[in-house]
Amino acid sequence: MKKLLLILLTFTILIGCAKDDEFLEPITNEEIPQSLQIKELIGIKLENTIVTDRVAMNVKLPLDGKYRIKIRHGINNELISQEMIEAEEGDNLLRVYVASLDKSGYMIQLTDEFHNVLGNQSFVVN
Amino acid sequence: MKKILLLLVSVMFTLSSYGQSSIDYSPVNTVTQVGDTLIMKFQYFKGDGNDLTLGQLDFEYNNKLLSYVSHESQAPTGASFARNNWTGYKFVPKADSDEDDMDVQYTWWKDEAGANSYETGADWSVERVTIQSASALENGQEFIKYSFKVKDKFGSGYSNYNDIIKVNWANYQESDGTQIQTTRSKDGQDLSGIEGGNAGNFVINLKTANTDNYTDYSYTVKNGAGESVATGTFDESGQASISGLENNVTYTAEANLTEAASYLDEVVTVSDLALVFAEAIGAGSGPSGGSTTFDYFVQDIMADVVGDGGVVDFQDSYEILAYLQGVDSSNTNLITQDGQTEDYSGIASTYGAVANDVVTFAKSFTPIDSDASSKTIDLAHGLVGDVNFSHSYTPVVESGGKSTSARQSSARYSKRDSEDANIDLISEINDEGQVVFSINSDVEGMVGSQFNIVYDPNVLSLENVIFDTGNTMTNFSNIVQNGIVRVGSFDQNFESTVKEGTPYKLIFTPLETIENTSGLISFRVKEGVKADGTKINFIIQ
Repeated sequence: MKKLLLILLTFTILIGCAKDDEFLEPITNEEIPQSLQIKELIGIKLENTIVTDRVAMNVKLPLDGKYRIKIRHGINNELISQEMIEAEEGDNLLRVYVASLDKSGYMIQLTDEFHNVLGNQSFVVN
Repeated sequence: MKKILLLLVSVMFTLSSYGQSSIDYSPVNTVTQVGDTLIMKFQYFKGDGNDLTLGQLDFEYNNKLLSYVSHESQAPTGASFARNNWTGYKFVPKADSDEDDMDVQYTWWKDEAGANSYETGADWSVERVTIQSASALENGQEFIKYSFKVKDKFGSGYSNYNDIIKVNWANYQESDGTQIQTTRSKDGQDLSGIEGGNAGNFVINLKTANTDNYTDYSYTVKNGAGESVATGTFDESGQASISGLENNVTYTAEANLTEAASYLDEVVTVSDLALVFAEAIGAGSGPSGGSTTFDYFVQDIMADVVGDGGVVDFQDSYEILAYLQGVDSSNTNLITQDGQTEDYSGIASTYGAVANDVVTFAKSFTPIDSDASSKTIDLAHGLVGDVNFSHSYTPVVESGGKSTSARQSSARYSKRDSEDANIDLISEINDEGQVVFSINSDVEGMVGSQFNIVYDPNVLSLENVIFDTGNTMTNFSNIVQNGIVRVGSFDQNFESTVKEGTPYKLIFTPLETIENTSGLISFRVKEGVKADGTKINFIIQ
C-alpha cells in the first residue's frame, strides 16, 4: 500500500513539475458563449463591437501554430498594435485590451505568421 | 422760311428752359465711413423771373441707410417755417409723367392722386418743408439743412447707397398764388465710397500639417488697439466663421494649439533632432548666418528651442536631445512637448517671409466690402521644435525659401525627403509570463530612430528596455507619461547607424493574469532618419 501511495505521489509530483504546454488550452465548443461562436472553420470574433475597457475574443484556427492578431485604424488601415500568439486548432478564447487606445473605430485582424489574412472584425472604442 | 422756323424753335426752347425754377439738393460735406454725418442742403434757384414767396418741398430718404439726426431751418428772418415727417411711406410719382417736373408731381399729389400718391414703404421716410415769406426769396436761398447719420448697409437689403434721398415734388408760388414751374436738380442723391460697416460673415482657414486635429486650435482676432474682438475654435474642417468685424478696419489674427492636446510629445522627434544637429554642424545660424542646411528661414525660428534670437547652434540640438532622452537639462526651453506649445502663426501667403533679414509672421488683414476675397484669410500655424513641419505649415512665400536667396547653402536637409521602410513591431508572452515587445528592423543606414510606445499601465508594468543598436549609438528610453514610453537612438556624429535585427526590446510584467496581449501595446511615433537627413517612415505590415 505504501509503495502504491509512493508511486502515486511520485507521479503526481512529476506531473506537477512538468512544463506547461506552450499552447493555449483547447476549448470545447460547449464552453464557447453564444456571442463568440464562429460557424466557419477559421475566424475571429469579439463579444461586443462597442468596447470600453476590454472585450472577450474568440480566435478560431485551422491548425496549431503561430498567428498574428493585428489592430488597425478604422480609416487609414494603419497598424497600431500587433501580437503574436501560439495557439491550437479550433476555438481560442482571448481578450482585447483597449483602455490605452484612442476612442476611435478599429479593425481587428487575424493573420497567419506570414501576414496572410484569415479574418477581420471591426470594433469601436467608446 | 426754314431758318425762321429754326430760330423760332430755338427761342421757344430757350424761353422754356429759362422759365423753370429749381429745387436743388446736395451734400454740404463729404462722407466716407459708416457712422459719418451727412449734411444735406435744400436750396431754391430762381429761373423764371417770378417772385417766390411760398416754397414747399417734399422728399423721402431711405431710413435703412440714413438715420435722421437733426435739421436746421435756413429760412430768412421774418419768414415762417414748418417741417413735417412721416415714416413708412414712399411717394408714387404720376404715371407717364416727367418725375423731374416738380409742379406736375405737386399737382398730382394735390389734385389727382387722392390716396394713391403715397404707398406704405417701411424703408422710407417722407419729409416736408414749408417756408413762407412776405417778401420774395432771393435766388440761391437755402430752405433747410438736414443731418443724417450714414448707416451700415449690411443686412439692410441694399447693396449700395444710390438714390438714398429723392425730392418728390415742390410747390413754388408767387404771393398771388401763381404756381411757378419747377424742376429738380437730380433724380436722387447717391453716396459712393462708403467704407466701414459690418464685414458680414468672415472666414478663417487654418493651415497646418496637423490636419487630423483642427479642432484643437483656437483663433484670436484683435483690433488695432490690441483688444480681442473675436475668439473661438476651428471646426473639424479647419475653418472658423466669425462675425462682427467691420469693413476697412485692420485686424490681426493668430492661431494657437491647445496645450492639452494628447499628441504634443509626438511633435518633436529624432528627425527634428537630426535636422537641428546638421544645422548646428553646418554653422547655420539664422537669416544673418553664412551657411545653412535648412530649406526655409522659418526653420531657424522653429529650431531655436533655447530662444536666443533665431540662432541655431549646438545648444538647441543638445536641448532637443536631452528632451528626447528624458534628461532634465535645467534649462527652460521652447520645445513643443506634453503640456507645452510655442505657437507661431500668420497669414499663409507671407508666413515665414524674410524682410530686412528678419523672419516675419504678418498677421494683419482688412475686410473690404467691395472685395469678396478680403472676407477670407488663410492663417498658417507652426510649432517651435517642429523643424520638419510634421505638425506645422510649410511656407510658400518665395522669400521664405533659402534656395531662393543668394546665401551660400551647404548640403540641404530637405524636410520633404522621406522614404518608407518595413519593420515589424510585435508583442508576445514569453515562457516566463512576461510580455515582450520587440522592434525588429532590417533598415540600413539609420543614424537615428524613435518609437513612442503606448501601453496599458493598469495591466502592464515596464520592467526593462534592452538595446541592441550597436556600441556607439546614443540610446534613450524614458517614460513620457504614465503609459507612454519613448525609445530610440541617435548618433550626433552622423557616422554610426542603428544595428539591424532587434535593436529594441521592451519587457513588461503583467499586473494581472493575461492570456494574450492584443491591444495592450500600441505604437504612435515610429520613424527613423538617415545620415543625409532623409526621414524614414516605418511601415508595419
